[in-house]
Amino acid sequence: MSETCKVSSERRGDVAILWTDGYINNQGGEEIAKEAYSRLEEGARALVMNLEKTRIVNSIGISILIEVLEKVMDRKGVLAFCGLTPTIDKTFRIMGLAQYAEIYPTQEDALRGVEAKTA
Amino acid sequence: MTSPASLVQGVRLEELWKKIAGILASDESLPARIAEAAVLATGAQEAALYLRERDAWTRSGPKLAGAVEAGEIPDPLPGSAFVREGDLWVPLETEGELHGLLRLLGVPGEPLESGALLAFLFGSLVGAHRLARMVRDAEFELKARLLELESLYDLGLSLGGQLDLSSLADEVLFRSISLTDAGRGTLVLMEDSGAVLLERSVGAEILAGRDAAAWKLPEGGFIHNATGAVDMGGASLPCDKMLAVEISVSGRRLGVLAVADKESRDSRVLDFTPTDARLLSLFANQAAAAIETARLHKEALEKERIERELELAATIQRQILPRDLPSVPGISIAARNVPTRQVGGDYFDVFPLSGGRLAFLVADVSGKGIPAALLVSTVHAAVHLQIDEARTISDLVQRIDRHLQRYAVTRKFLTAFFGLLEPETGVLRYVSAGHNPALLRRAGGGIEQLGATGVPLGMFPNAAWREETRPMAKGDLLCVYSDGITEALDASDEEFGVPRLSRLLDAGSPEEICRRVFDEVASFAADVPQYDDQTLLLLRRT
Repeated sequence: MSETCKVSSERRGDVAILWTDGYINNQGGEEIAKEAYSRLEEGARALVMNLEKTRIVNSIGISILIEVLEKVMDRKGVLAFCGLTPTIDKTFRIMGLAQYAEIYPTQEDALRGVEAKTA
Repeated sequence: MTSPASLVQGVRLEELWKKIAGILASDESLPARIAEAAVLATGAQEAALYLRERDAWTRSGPKLAGAVEAGEIPDPLPGSAFVREGDLWVPLETEGELHGLLRLLGVPGEPLESGALLAFLFGSLVGAHRLARMVRDAEFELKARLLELESLYDLGLSLGGQLDLSSLADEVLFRSISLTDAGRGTLVLMEDSGAVLLERSVGAEILAGRDAAAWKLPEGGFIHNATGAVDMGGASLPCDKMLAVEISVSGRRLGVLAVADKESRDSRVLDFTPTDARLLSLFANQAAAAIETARLHKEALEKERIERELELAATIQRQILPRDLPSVPGISIAARNVPTRQVGGDYFDVFPLSGGRLAFLVADVSGKGIPAALLVSTVHAAVHLQIDEARTISDLVQRIDRHLQRYAVTRKFLTAFFGLLEPETGVLRYVSAGHNPALLRRAGGGIEQLGATGVPLGMFPNAAWREETRPMAKGDLLCVYSDGITEALDASDEEFGVPRLSRLLDAGSPEEICRRVFDEVASFAADVPQYDDQTLLLLRRT
């Protein structure tokens, strides 16, 4: 059995923060997508994903994150990541996630960044 | 002139096209938009669009999105629109290549006529959509390959500077799982003996309960894609689909890296491929070099730590040995101790007692290093505690032995020569606890060997020692030594021996004799390394 990824979220105004804890693979990606879509349906305009408790992401997890990013972009929203390990940071940049999503070192930086973009 | 009926139909068609264009421009995914547009174009109750994604079908539609069940899609598929169980099925293709299937429920009128229209309207659109997805997938694959290369490069860089085995193992394991899309993974590092040095797992352990050291893995990795246990080299492999590679350096196995449950987007467990095995082997090779470096670094640190401890123990021991020899009327004394390692197992001491008497001892502890130093320290404490309490030399030895039996932390023993010399009368009392014979050189010539009068100390509980006496005339010389002197070896493995030592006692003051003995022993041994401490104590009645 693989490591289970837990996802939680909280709404702060127009922004929804998602916290992941564990491996972002197929299961982890699906959990993130479910939570993200639910927050978008509620009306969140920006998503901040805090990955500080995630050490591994595989290509399936990344493809699901790209799907979430496409959905956010279709809605003219903003997606930001924070708390990435150096390896995950580089992975996101190579796989093209960083092209349309913002990457910040901390959650506070990410919140400030997306608020400025959605203001 | 246009007839009113065709005008009305033209207006309705224009409105229909506007509505379809509106749907196609919405935020929904294109497959869902096409299904919705198909409903509008045909007046059907519901519609679904099936698309072939890699090797599996997916279903999209405003209300029908979800997993495709087995047998849901007709097999074989006719080449053009057909009706089955009341539903209209429309293959969407361009230039003979199938891109997708539209399924419409409750189409009014003549369904097959609508089918031809739908195939015309959406065939190219779905083809373009599929092509775009294929380009996107290819781009994703390309980036994934680039990521593999970058990861190998990064791993080399980060491992090169990583000397902590634990962090190093995590780094290798995380990247291996990530880049092979495995659901879980385990990394085991082993000692040369095969004992587990470190084990890391993500998800359930793959190697749990299995003796990784006993595995015989083929070069380039072992792929196990079938289900069912496999016996390999006496070790039972797990039933999961898994891939394992050896981490080795110069044919020496350092560990095993294994990943299992390769994932797919539709939650199936895929087979591991030779490309996965090659990638994992490359990781293992990089890891092996880094692990070896980290291990050597750890060993160097450990050696440095031991040397620091030995240096500290040597400092303590140097303080145990008498810094200055006492000046006792009627007795001329000389002594020296040369340890062969930082911390030796020899100990000597001299104690001026009341009435001008002199007590002395030379002891040799079995073994070397910290344990020997600890015992020397214990003996030193015992002698200093008991010297004033003891009635006789044999009583002193008895008390020290009891102290050692009770307090010594290491199960070692020591040989020792204890003596008490009264300069006025010249009476020498002694006990030799298994020590090599002391030499009593008479001023008038001749040497008497003073042999053991009991067993070594700390060896047997309730042991007893006989005390002996000898008269020492003025000018007589007593030579007490450790076996590091007489058993010093030369290049041909010959011992220095008692005769050579005896001859050196013939002339000179104790100080001169002492210097001469150590010079001769050093010259005899030349460059041959010596493994035993050398101690010499000389007493002359003057």
